[in-house]
Amino acid sequence: MNISSIPPAQVADRAASAVAIRGTALEKSYRSGKVSTTVLRGLSLEIGLGELTLVSGPSGCGKSTLLSLLGGLLQPDAGRVHALGVDLWALAARDLERFRLEHTGFVFQGFNLFGALSALEQVMLPLGYLGLDSGTARLRAEEALSEVGLSDRIALRPSALSGGEKQRVAIARALAKQPQLLFADEPTSALDAASGQRVIEILHRIARRHNCAVLCVSHDPRLIGQSDRVLQMEDGCILADRRQFEQKELTA
Amino acid sequence: MIVALARKTLIHEWRRFFPAVLAVAFSGLLLLVQTALVLGIFGSAAVFVDKSRGDLWIGYPGTRSVELGRAIPLDSEIWLRLDPAVARVESFLWVDGDWRSRSGQGAVSVSVSGIEPGADGLMFARALPAEMRERLRQPDSVIVDHADLDKLGVSVGGRARINGRQVQVVGAAQQLRALGGVNILASLDTARRLRYLGDGVADDMRMTYYVVKLHDPGAAPAVAARLNREVARHGFEAWTSSEFSQRAVSFWMFETGAGLGVLFMSLVVCVVGVVITSQTLMAAVAGSIDEYATLHALGVGLRELRRVVLEQAAWVGAGGLLIGVLGSAGALVLAFQHDVPVALGVIPGLICAGLVMTISLLSGMAAVRVLRHADAANLLR
Repeated sequence: MNISSIPPAQVADRAASAVAIRGTALEKSYRSGKVSTTVLRGLSLEIGLGELTLVSGPSGCGKSTLLSLLGGLLQPDAGRVHALGVDLWALAARDLERFRLEHTGFVFQGFNLFGALSALEQVMLPLGYLGLDSGTARLRAEEALSEVGLSDRIALRPSALSGGEKQRVAIARALAKQPQLLFADEPTSALDAASGQRVIEILHRIARRHNCAVLCVSHDPRLIGQSDRVLQMEDGCILADRRQFEQKELTA
Repeated sequence: MIVALARKTLIHEWRRFFPAVLAVAFSGLLLLVQTALVLGIFGSAAVFVDKSRGDLWIGYPGTRSVELGRAIPLDSEIWLRLDPAVARVESFLWVDGDWRSRSGQGAVSVSVSGIEPGADGLMFARALPAEMRERLRQPDSVIVDHADLDKLGVSVGGRARINGRQVQVVGAAQQLRALGGVNILASLDTARRLRYLGDGVADDMRMTYYVVKLHDPGAAPAVAARLNREVARHGFEAWTSSEFSQRAVSFWMFETGAGLGVLFMSLVVCVVGVVITSQTLMAAVAGSIDEYATLHALGVGLRELRRVVLEQAAWVGAGGLLIGVLGSAGALVLAFQHDVPVALGVIPGLICAGLVMTISLLSGMAAVRVLRHADAANLLR
């Protein structure tokens, strides 16, 4: 199925239902030699638009694998992933790349910035592949960098940036594409407390301001208080699914 | 592309890419210098043709290189002179000889080129000053290449024996050296006297070649074809000068096996170049694999990432080629100053440049394979 064949109205319509991603009966196991390890066991879930969903759990519980599956990076052994109404794993490889380019952003634990590029160029880079012209890309990149509070750092290369700043550049890079889906894998684990706090606030703000589904995987307890919804995972299953609206309203 | 990722990375991480640039540069240098040497050395196989002014060469049918000539019938000259297109016919006699300069020194095999000694002679017109050529009118006088003087154990004005007959060296010219032996110039009369025909054999007036000047040099291919069609049955074959020159060069290059050796060496240079360059490029790609994987996660296609790597390979090739060309130019100047025969034309030069770019692009293709590991799922484990 070709992405461009999906009418925008249809995508928007599905978005209006507030479910951004639906994973159904997801199974995944890894094989190492003759030993097969099951990581996900028939897991189903929905991720909503406009909120920051945190998947937390001990390491090895399958949360990163879940993110790979929902983000269209890894094919499940069984089950389906519908993102913005599109059955991801029914797409051809090129179409899946196109879907990710147009609709998803990723932030990784290692910031993975190109050493040769300035902050502005890092953010502009994916925009070029989206087909934007240089002027529009620059404008969007500057906006995104300003949103993460790096307006005054746009000319700096990664070697001149702190860890927190690098992660904010990585977030700006994902954000500038204006994705409806934003995935973050342990975005704070390499950062000090203050930088980590700032990154969480930015991710939360992105979810609200851009009506974006932000799915964050972390075992950092600081994130729990900042998330709209927390999925507690263990052993390839979701043990608890907590919404924190009440808590948010109280603090507000 | 709005961000020149390939180029910026190359400049920023030049230390990482420099070994690849150097590998390409050395491959280019080796290919270019080797080609220039081969063309220089094997080009001298045709020195008899290239240093002369004739439009056509007439020789024994099927002759594949100048030194392989045989005597042709005496009436060949008449058939040539009868042709209306022919302006001048000049004789060329090839004599194999044995050179001895003084007792105690061994013999040297030489070939004597018997030519017209007149100032406007065609043979070796591009190598001999008219005044020096006139000196050949003196009986039993010879001219040698100045680079051969030591080897012949003689100096200008000195005497030696060829096939037992005494000769005097009346001049030393430049660029007479030919492949496969020492080239010595003499007048036709001297050369004829130097021949050893066997005891009791009467003199042989036949020539080895005739060099022909045409009224219209541009008509050479047509005249050669016509001669071969109409009168060559009398015992000779006609070639245009460039054709005969190429015949000699390709004979030495390909029929002797030397050319194959050179081709093999070039292949080795290319393989070594590809191995080193690809290893360096692969390491460079592997060093940025997480960044590439992130771009892939963000939806940048593998095809686009491959293009980045290939662009880097192309830049490495261009940079290496530039350094290689500069180095080769230096080496060739040095060779020229020391009488080492080197020659490089535009087409062989372009072929070498093409090979160098092929080396870098093949290396780029090998490095592209590393991108298989640019799997964003690996970043999430």
